[in-house]
Amino acid sequence: MSTTNNIAQARKLVEQLRIEAGIEQFSPFIRHDNRWQRMSTTNNIAQARKLVEQLRIEAGIERIKVSKAAADLMSYCEQHARSDPLLVGVPTSENPFKDKKPCIIL
Amino acid sequence: MAAQEVAAQPSDTLATLKTESETLKTKLEEERAKLHDVELHQVAEKIEALGQFVMKTRRTLKGHGNKVLCMDWCKDKRRIVSSSQDGKVIVWDAFTTNKEHAVTMPCTWVMACAYAPSGCAVACGGLDNKCSVYPLSLDKNENLAAKKKSVAMHTNYLSACCFTNSDMQILTSSGDGTCALWDVESGQMLQSFHGHAADVLCLDLAPSETGNTFVSGGCDKKACVWDMRTGQCVQSFETHESDINSVRYYPSGDAFASGSDDATCRLYDLRADREVAIYSKESIIFGASSVDFSLSGRLLFGGYNDYTINVWDVLKGTRVSILFGHENRVSTLRVSPDGTAFCSGSWDHTLRIWA
Repeated sequence: MSTTNNIAQARKLVEQLRIEAGIEQFSPFIRHDNRWQRMSTTNNIAQARKLVEQLRIEAGIERIKVSKAAADLMSYCEQHARSDPLLVGVPTSENPFKDKKPCIIL
Repeated sequence: MAAQEVAAQPSDTLATLKTESETLKTKLEEERAKLHDVELHQVAEKIEALGQFVMKTRRTLKGHGNKVLCMDWCKDKRRIVSSSQDGKVIVWDAFTTNKEHAVTMPCTWVMACAYAPSGCAVACGGLDNKCSVYPLSLDKNENLAAKKKSVAMHTNYLSACCFTNSDMQILTSSGDGTCALWDVESGQMLQSFHGHAADVLCLDLAPSETGNTFVSGGCDKKACVWDMRTGQCVQSFETHESDINSVRYYPSGDAFASGSDDATCRLYDLRADREVAIYSKESIIFGASSVDFSLSGRLLFGGYNDYTINVWDVLKGTRVSILFGHENRVSTLRVSPDGTAFCSGSWDHTLRIWA
């Protein structure tokens, strides 16, 4: 347990020093199981491969036109406008936060 | 969609992979641009403009001894949990402004708090790198801290937490750059989400009808949409120019809004896979710390670091109102579950309910 803590602490220190020395943000490969990753050529290739994997997934998804998406957003707003208390306002008697007394509690 | 393993070729060098990733990025932009046939505000020109809004502070919740950092509504539409820099987590009855419970955390800067769907527990965390769940007792004399359950463990501060559809699972985001899904009972990590290149500052769960996804925003200026079952990032958006402080799903689940230190809020449509609106004004130069939609999605409320709350017409892209009242940064903002009011928390130590 203490070894894991020492590695975690050491990593935190390196992170801090990198920031102070003006180096790029910490490596995205600091995994949750706290394994220490040294910056080697193999790691850079692994990172690059992961990025390519991710971009392939994102490039491959189905998309619709903005006009269709916008129309759907608008129709949702219209459908629900009447039941939106902040949009249309509800009478004082129905809104528990609006006081029925003439003065407002601040 | 299962992740396509990029087969390791012996000829793979850093250079070839870099070229491929650049090509893919360009292709992604081209595909997105092809479908960009119109702007949202152009489509929205034909609808009526909104009238004048009169929204006032209806309640002021005083009691925190330091900056309020986070708040959440209970599903009963009247209770609120809030957390503060001084380590206190308070549960309020927003109708009466009475404090119902108070817990002192062992750390300061409690940056995240959330109400459980059942209303029987709250979760919170911050500089302690953990997310802890406190069951709320009906007995006012009972010491809540005694029943505390440590659920999540990160290697850096906890920035946000959220219960999923039940009291049994919690989603967390952290300064260590990851998000994670935890089982509350056992404290076991069920899934972790890696992909951000810097601190993750916020997250929001998709409305239940639209499935198991959530969106997160971070200091790397990216907003990522994740599949909760596989841990895969399915979409990402990088158009902000600074840290993304807050993300919130549009009520239909087809889009989400983000608030950033670059003084803008933006709307991203998930099916069009792009940014469709920017909410900004030259006069607004301070960052937006938190955003939320009204029930119909027509209004977007943004809390800013210049102490104000700006209300935007989501479809037309214009500002409909500006609300003054807080005496310091607005740090958190949530609309109530039935949409009758919204609550804002601020560095001025108070929370305000607006309606």
